[in-house]
This record gives sequence, structure tokens and C-alpha cells, in this order.
Amino acid sequence: MSHGTILLMMTALFLVFGYMGVPVAFALMAGVLAACMATPISIQSMIGQMFHGIDTEILLAVPFFLLVGELMTSANVTNRMIRLAQAMVGHMRGGLAQVVTLFSMFFAGVSGSSTADVAVLSRTVAPEMTKEGYDRAFTAALIACASTMANLIPPSIMAVVYGATGNVSIGGLFLAGFVPGVLIGIGLMIYSHFFGPIGFRKPRASLCELYLAAKGSVLPLMIPLIIMGGILTGWFTPTEAGMIASVYILVVLVPLLAPKHIRDLPRDFVYTGLLYAIPLALVAAASAFGWMLAYLRGPDIISGWIELYAGTDGRIIMLLLVLVFIVIGDFMDAVPAIIIFMPIVIKLNELGAIKPLHMGVVLITTLVFGLITPPYGLSLLVASKFVGVPFSRAMFASLPIYAVFFLVIGFTVLFPDIVLYLPKLLLPESVGCFKGPAGNYICPP
Amino acid sequence: MSIAQVVLAAKPPLVIARHRHLKWKALDPLEHVLMVLCGVSIAGFTFSVFVDVVTRELGIAVLWLQLVTTGFFAWGVFIGMATATRRLDHLNLVEITKLMRGPQRTFFEVFNRIVVLVVALCMFIFGIQNVFNDMGSFRAPSLIPLALYTASVPVSGVLIVLFVVEQLVNGWRNGFEGPEDSENLVEIVK
Repeated sequence: MSHGTILLMMTALFLVFGYMGVPVAFALMAGVLAACMATPISIQSMIGQMFHGIDTEILLAVPFFLLVGELMTSANVTNRMIRLAQAMVGHMRGGLAQVVTLFSMFFAGVSGSSTADVAVLSRTVAPEMTKEGYDRAFTAALIACASTMANLIPPSIMAVVYGATGNVSIGGLFLAGFVPGVLIGIGLMIYSHFFGPIGFRKPRASLCELYLAAKGSVLPLMIPLIIMGGILTGWFTPTEAGMIASVYILVVLVPLLAPKHIRDLPRDFVYTGLLYAIPLALVAAASAFGWMLAYLRGPDIISGWIELYAGTDGRIIMLLLVLVFIVIGDFMDAVPAIIIFMPIVIKLNELGAIKPLHMGVVLITTLVFGLITPPYGLSLLVASKFVGVPFSRAMFASLPIYAVFFLVIGFTVLFPDIVLYLPKLLLPESVGCFKGPAGNYICPP
Repeated sequence: MSIAQVVLAAKPPLVIARHRHLKWKALDPLEHVLMVLCGVSIAGFTFSVFVDVVTRELGIAVLWLQLVTTGFFAWGVFIGMATATRRLDHLNLVEITKLMRGPQRTFFEVFNRIVVLVVALCMFIFGIQNVFNDMGSFRAPSLIPLALYTASVPVSGVLIVLFVVEQLVNGWRNGFEGPEDSENLVEIVK
């Protein structure tokens, strides 16, 4: 059998098994094992690859960022951030819708998990929105769309996985994610203002109320500073920053703000222990799949197809990849997608002379869109479930909001200088700059 | 990522109450122990990374702590992978079988579990071979045998085999349909 045929068989088996209901990690491995039968690669080495796929220190950041989100939500510390968002934008047209978006921006700076964001908002703000007459479908759609920012505004689990597998600066990806993350937030606020329900108009919060809300949120909002400050000053790696944030919550936030929660902490650890294992089992299987894909020269085949249409024009290559990843994101989870397709992305970066950091932020922005598109729009699924509205209704309500995402993805592709401004300013090495003899940074065009 | 269903207000007991018709009560203590081990793993590597940072800042870096950290991490992932299999918490692309009834449902449920069983058997058999190969390899600087890490794969494999057999036997006897079929959410951790 030719490599192309084996590649097709492996991919087809994964998709068929996956869509028959086999869990993704096992469907991926089943495809890999079948490919082993048709190649000289031993099954033993592929089982070994599962272990080596997760045997990297940088992936430790994933459980830490999950732990931060879990501890914050479980201890109900997030309510303080919701109060601050209400004080800041609750008086605007569609006040609660604006609160959802602003809170998601705050929460994105604390946790890297979109679904944790959905769970918090569905439990706290969604019932209030229903009382004020917001359509449940709109509520679910908005919460799901806003939650995608958690994977763009640092810390982001997708950025950690992308950086670890693609050998791209994670700090750089964190910084580059700011622009598309904030743009999505602004886009959602504009959409809610002009096209969303009006809700109850509330009086603007007084300066005193705003001060009290901000004061109450100071301690939780230190977490983004700890994470990004630690990384940018070079004190911590992303993994250590996640650990420091977790310890900060355990030692400062919980005792001061939710002392009764202390006895529940062991349980938080147990659940997070299981939670981090689920995506990382996917990483293990996907790394074996990605290894086999590379062995079968998948990157050469696919980059050959893309080269046929795009030549070596970096911008067209990127747009074609965006289209491919929009489709991929519709059908599979972002974490295995990143790992499986990384060899292809690296090949195309070389072909089009694209900055790996720029490609990374573009693909992450594209993949977060997959969180709200059927059939595998996980954030939308969870939001519709929690808000209590059929998935199809939530999906129709989110259709017009897709425009915000298309605009932001387009912006991220077309304006790399703006998107990469922060990494270039604060972490110049992450965009390929290097120190010249005079101590100043010399950057590639 | 699917992570948060999780965060529902009241946390239930560690052994999941759902899909009871697919489970033996005798294996509940094992699920409980595995859940606790998941917690121990994350608590363990949180502590070891913390001590690693503190000792480094104090100028007395302990290099072998990183090996302890990756050990806790790897074992946590593979133990969690097995635990998620019993709790049916793994991520699925679709849950198409929930829409089926009768023999069609039985066929797909059995088929899917056989695929998982084959993969788990490979993890067990070839994982053990890897462990034997790794007996002679050591991780610097503390020379911890690599086999101590890679043993997590066959252990996970054998646990998954056990849990899949449990589900196959009980599903065959009691049917795979359950009250959870009406829920349209990937079931995680409740």
C-alpha cells in the first residue's frame, strides 16, 4: 500500500470510529494501530509514543490553569468579578449581556478553559437574564461566544498545547492572543448593544459602588498579573506561573474570601485530577497519530495541495489553512487538532515564510470559533444544556454572531503588525528578534 | 475543552451515580481509589513544582524534583484515562448511540467498546514490553528507572480492559439504554 492510501485509511478509520461513538482518544489510536499493520512501524513504538507525547514539562501548565479555574468557581470567588462587571456596564443597553462579555474577559485572564466560563455564567448571570426577559437562546449563544475568549486572552490552554507541540514561545502566544481576544469582546458588546435584547435599564453605578466592586475584585484580579508578570519578567515558566496562581488562590484567596470552602479543597483537587487527564489522554493519542501522519509524509502531501492553489504566498496559505481549520474545528476538539496538524502547519510556515507566532494566533483564533459551531461546538452544547434551551435554537441565535468571529479572524490574518505588537514589544525573541551588538533588538521584516 | 460540567454547584460523591446499569458495585471501591489517586497526582505535582521554584529561588535547586513532577503528571494522566473510561467521561465526537434503541443500539455499543478494548489490550501488552525495555534506561540526574514512568501505560491499559469488560457484560445483560440517554451533553464528572 502507498503511503497516501495508508494515510487515507488511518484518517477514515479515526473519523468512522469517532462518529460511531468511540471516544476520540481511542478512535485516534485505533487509526494509528491499523496504520502500523500496513507499515514497518511497530505497535510497541506507537504505544511508547503515547507516553512520550505527554512526557513534557510544558504541558503541566494545562492542569494548573484548569485548577485555577476550578478553585475560583468552586469557591465562588468569581461572583466578585461579576459584581465588578455589573458596576461597570450593567447600566448600558442590554446591560446583562454586556456583563456576560465583560466578565468573560476578566475570567479569561484567570482561567484558560472556555467551558469553565460557560459553567460560571450559566449558573449566575443566565437566570437573571431569563428574569429580565432575554431570550434563552440568545443567552446561551452569547455565553458560549463570550467563553471563547478564555482560549485567547492569557492564560490559554490552546496556546500552551500549540506552543509545546509547535516549539513556539508560549509567552508570545499569550501576548498575541490579547488582540483577537479583546476584539471578540468588543465585537460582542457592539452586537449586544445594537442587535441584542434591551433588558431592564438600570441606573449607572455610583463612583462609590464602582469603587467597592473594584475593591472586592482586587484579589482575584491579581491572578492575571501574577501569571503574565511572572512570565514576562522571566521569573517563571508558564507552568510555574500556573502553579503560583494556584498556590495564591489556596493560600490567599480561599482563606480570605471563602474560608468555608477550605474543607472542600481536597475534592477540588480530585475533580481537577480527573479533568486534566481527559484532554491529556487526547494529547497522548493525538501525538501518536501526528507521529504516524508525519511518517506517512502527510505534511508533504497536504502542503503540496495547498501549494498548488496558493503558491508560496504566505497570506493565501494562511487563508486556506483558516478555511481548513474552520472545517476541522467543526468536527473535532482543538487540542488533538493542533497536535495532529502541527507537522503540516510547520511545513506550510516554511513554504510561505510565515512567522510561527502569527500562524499560531491565527489558528487558535480559528479553532476557538469551532467551540460554537455545530456539530462539535462544545461551548454552545454546554451553554444550551445549562441555560435549558435546545441546541438547535442556541445555534440559530449564534449564527449572526459568527460575523464577529469572521471579522476578527480576517483582522488577525491581515494585520500581523497589530496582532504581534505586544509580543514584539514585551517578548521580542518570540517573534524572531535577536539582540544586536549594541544591545538593541534586530527584528526580521 | 470539555472541562467544566464539572463546576456544578454541589459536588457529588466520588463514585459516579450514573450508568449504574453498566457497572458492578464490586468495582466502585476501585473507582473511588482511582479518583483519589487523580487528586493525589495533581496535589503531588503542584507541591513538587512549588518546592522546585522555592529551592531554585533560594539557590539550592533540587534537580530530581522535576523527575518527581513528571512522574506524578504521567501517572495522573494514565490513571485518569482509565477512571474516565469507567465513568464514561471521555470526549466523544458525537453520541450517536444515544439516539438508537434495541439491537441497533446493542450492536454499536458493543462494537465501540471492542475498539476501545483492542486499543487497551495493545496499551497493556506492548506497554509491558516497553517497560521491560526501559528497565535499563535511567533518567538523569537521579537515575530513576524510566520503567517507573512508562509502567503507567500498561497499568492504565489493564484497568481500561477491566472497565470495558464490565460495561460489555452488564450492557449485554441489562441493555445499554439508560436514563442518561435524554441528556444531550457530553457527560463529564457529574
